[in-house]
Amino acid sequence: MSDSFRHTVGRKVVSRASAQELGVVAHLLVDALDRRVVAVIIGRGKKARLVDWPAISGFGPDAVMVGDEAALRPPAEGRERHAADGKLELVGKLALTEDGNELGTVDDVTFDAQTGALETLVVGDRDIPAAALLGSGSYAAVLDHSQEPPA
Amino acid sequence: MKLLMNASQINGLPVVTVGGGEDMAEVRDVIYSPEAGRLVGLTLNKRGFLAGRRREVLPAEAIHAIGRDAVMVADESSLVLPEDAPDDVARPGTDRNVVGDDVLTESGVSLGAVRDLALLVGSTGEVVGYQIEKAGGGSGYIPLPAQLAVSGSALVVPDMTEEFVRDDLVGLGAAVDDFRARLGLR
Repeated sequence: MSDSFRHTVGRKVVSRASAQELGVVAHLLVDALDRRVVAVIIGRGKKARLVDWPAISGFGPDAVMVGDEAALRPPAEGRERHAADGKLELVGKLALTEDGNELGTVDDVTFDAQTGALETLVVGDRDIPAAALLGSGSYAAVLDHSQEPPA
Repeated sequence: MKLLMNASQINGLPVVTVGGGEDMAEVRDVIYSPEAGRLVGLTLNKRGFLAGRRREVLPAEAIHAIGRDAVMVADESSLVLPEDAPDDVARPGTDRNVVGDDVLTESGVSLGAVRDLALLVGSTGEVVGYQIEKAGGGSGYIPLPAQLAVSGSALVVPDMTEEFVRDDLVGLGAAVDDFRARLGLR
């Protein structure tokens, strides 16, 4: 089932073992090369915790289910730390073509809640297939030539 | 995609990695070869207001693309220290700067002084014209032949250049091919 990054923000993360709410989704971390969600980030900054995609037992419309509290881990240094600080959040990033031209802002991203595979990037009134994504970081989401607007 | 830009529009653009989406630096200045009419590289500043100069340079060969909003590079390894860069990038001659130079036709008419470079950018950067401060006042653009004689204080262009002075970059874009085709026919 298709879900969207914007809709997941604030969704409960619940332990299957204890039925307790462990936190809420702050945002999702993606691997731009694989074009998929690799982790759910709960909270922000120092208190941020990360759930790796394989540790999620069900990404549902009302809650993200994990086995138990052990599924939550602190972010590793480097890229995960950046992500926990909110710097790599794909929604809100500048969309830039590999030719160096701006297309607008990434307003939302849709993905397959079963597999974590990214489907489309919503940039203004355009739905850009995730296959066009070449890279994403703290400055921009970079898209391939196919997304270049006509001159 | 190819587009025409003034060199001064390239200065200040962020340098962004294609695979990483990170802004590594920003363009400080354009280094080019007046004789070859070609962009040879870019010097860089750190990102951010008043952040200062970066020692690394970006050789033209390492540029993925220059666009309206960013200079794209493969990754951080595209930025190289001067000692690892080709000579014309690391040590551009002091006579490289043509801004302010007088533009003279072969028959000795001054068309004006160079104000800026007009580059055709995309995956490469080619200097295809100059923006000039016209002798009679106002500014205009002139197309350039592929090769050019440059002295350090003046540059000499073919007489027919005078017919190809245009008001803006769009006009220049249309004039360049025509100009070069006519030169080739002589």
